[in-house]
Amino acid sequence: MLEISELRKRFAGGPGAPGGKVALDGISFTVRPGEMFGFVGANGAGKTTTMRIVMGVLQADSGSVSWQGRPLGYDDRQRFGYMPEERGLYQKMRVAEQIEYFGRLHGLSAPAAKKATDDLLERLGLTERRGDAVQALSLGNQQRVQLAVALVHDPEVLILDEPFSGLDPIAVDALATALQERCRGGVPVIFSSHQLELVERLCDSVGIVSAGRMVASGTVADLRAAESGTLRVVVRDPAPGWADGLPGTVSVSGSRQVLLTDEGDDQEILRRAMKAGHVEHFGVEQPTLTEIFKEAVA
Amino acid sequence: MNGLLLVARREVSTQVRTRAFVIGLLVTALLVGAVSFLPKIMGGGDSYKLGLVNSQQLPLHAAAPDIEFEWRKFADEAAAKRAVLAGDVDAVLVDNARVLTDGEINTELGVLLQSVNREFKLGAAGVAIPPLEMQSVGADARYQEARQGIATVLVLLLFMLLMGQIVMVAMGVVEEKGSRIVEILLAAVRPWQLLGGKILGLGVVGLINLGTILVIGLAASSVSGLAADFPPGMVGLVVAVLVWFVLGYAFFATLSAAFASLVSRQEEVNTVLTPLTMMIMVTYFVSFYVTNEPTGTLATVLSYVPPFSSMVMPVRMAATEVPMWQVGLSMLAMALAVVVVLKIGSTVYERAVLRTGARLKFGEVLRSR
Ligand SMILES: Nc1ncnc2c1ncn2[C@@H]1O[C@H](COP(=O)(O)OP(=O)(O)OP(=O)(O)O)[C@@H](O)[C@H]1O
Ligand SMILES: [Mg+2]
Repeated sequence: MLEISELRKRFAGGPGAPGGKVALDGISFTVRPGEMFGFVGANGAGKTTTMRIVMGVLQADSGSVSWQGRPLGYDDRQRFGYMPEERGLYQKMRVAEQIEYFGRLHGLSAPAAKKATDDLLERLGLTERRGDAVQALSLGNQQRVQLAVALVHDPEVLILDEPFSGLDPIAVDALATALQERCRGGVPVIFSSHQLELVERLCDSVGIVSAGRMVASGTVADLRAAESGTLRVVVRDPAPGWADGLPGTVSVSGSRQVLLTDEGDDQEILRRAMKAGHVEHFGVEQPTLTEIFKEAVA
Repeated sequence: MNGLLLVARREVSTQVRTRAFVIGLLVTALLVGAVSFLPKIMGGGDSYKLGLVNSQQLPLHAAAPDIEFEWRKFADEAAAKRAVLAGDVDAVLVDNARVLTDGEINTELGVLLQSVNREFKLGAAGVAIPPLEMQSVGADARYQEARQGIATVLVLLLFMLLMGQIVMVAMGVVEEKGSRIVEILLAAVRPWQLLGGKILGLGVVGLINLGTILVIGLAASSVSGLAADFPPGMVGLVVAVLVWFVLGYAFFATLSAAFASLVSRQEEVNTVLTPLTMMIMVTYFVSFYVTNEPTGTLATVLSYVPPFSSMVMPVRMAATEVPMWQVGLSMLAMALAVVVVLKIGSTVYERAVLRTGARLKFGEVLRSR
């Protein structure tokens, strides 16, 4: 289990901000083995800062990160897979050589690194490009190499900062499948993303961070349950003024009128609607992650 | 340790495969080879072509071992005269009594012929004159010129290699910092491994260069005969030069990495390295000056002061005899300086290399935290 607790980080202020800038204001969350954790939040909320602290490339002012009950150390991190927000590869190095090199740095033997590299190149559709210099690849393909570098040593934990940005839909699916496979193998996966539908589709749990604090976290179902759903009623050719006095908003689209509300007596509303015209739709709509997100960070 | 060696190996294999390295090595090898043959091609020692008509060859070479003599026999004086006028021979000895030349005889040749002829005839008459014994009351100056030449070449070699490798280190550091590779690297290896591996790897590349130059230089000089003029103890000198290169390189390369970690773009490398390149330049100029006055006070003092000692001491060693204890002391001082620089440099590197963006200040980084 990866436990992040009470991380705080303040960046030294420049001329514009003499007091400094609080990036993390006591962030805590845990990720269990085999759990896919979606890390979402507005720009500047503190996602990257958190992940960099977990990976040890940045020091927190206070707080702790522990893995399997012990404080996370250098040797543990060597078995983690990391994809930083700002991608970085040796531009002149060949694709396969580069992936192998990082495999070795993460402690693989030469034959093991070679085998893992071949497998990954195959899976990511890069086998033909294995001998090319990285700089000769398109941005999306470079990103695949970056991903391979994060995965080559079969990591115990995956920390990926916006791994889906810049990928085509096919690559998104390939990456999603690869992550789900690792997850099923018991690896905790944390990734940040602004593509909330994707997060909603892939993740077991979600953490919403705002201004350096975790404002909501849990499974998508839990987060939904915390929000009351919206009642949506569609009536065709209703009598004019049928919704007067009912809560919510009414919009007109052609011969239909749509009532949206999250309060009031639903049975009373249904009776009124049936009396007024032909009810085509009546139901409570679950909020999307986007809606939950907007609500949470508002 | 493993991480450090992996990093070092990548540096070596990346560098060695570049066209710049291969071409550079070939060019220097050719250059060094050519230089070793140059004195010979340029004429080197004197040589004379001599003719004989009805005469005996004189033991000129025994009297002047540095000079080459070539003898030819002519059937009669007429043929010999034609050869002298055509410039085929410098002088012809006729009947063991006369010397024919085209105009005034070369002074050196004239004196030699006269004195050897006299000695030869006296010897034949049974009069033996013991040769004068030559004794120098000053220092052994036989190799003075050769030693100075070697010292000059060495200091230039050390300077160029040091500069080249140090710029390589800086560019490598900035490449990793600027492109953010350092973030994934440091998730896998510790900062000292990354820094140490880079310095070690590029140092090995430098040693390959230096070793090639020295070996080719020595081999070519022994083939060309130039090595005959070398003072004794050349192998020891070569080993010492390698050690001094390693020490000087460790000192300057660590500083170079630390300075380079302050910036994020290749264009800034030159500017940020300026203090360091100035320091190397000064070291070079001082050492160059010392080649002319290897026994002066300045030379003696600076041969103990790091980092000057890394170039001044090998120059002194090449140019004069330096007692072992002095070399040892100077190496110890330099090694201590390297340790201090490693400590400071790695601290700065570690703190600065993840702080991308505007240029940082050395002192501030060192004091921070
Ligand atoms: N090196 C730094 N120096 C100063 N401030 C920083 C630094 N890095 C991050 N910050 C600040 O910390 C805050 C959190 O930044 P962070 O990069 O973690 O956000 P994020 O959630 O990853 O945003 P995004 O979605 O845009 O990637 C921001 O206000 C940012 O300006
Ligand atoms: Mg970010």
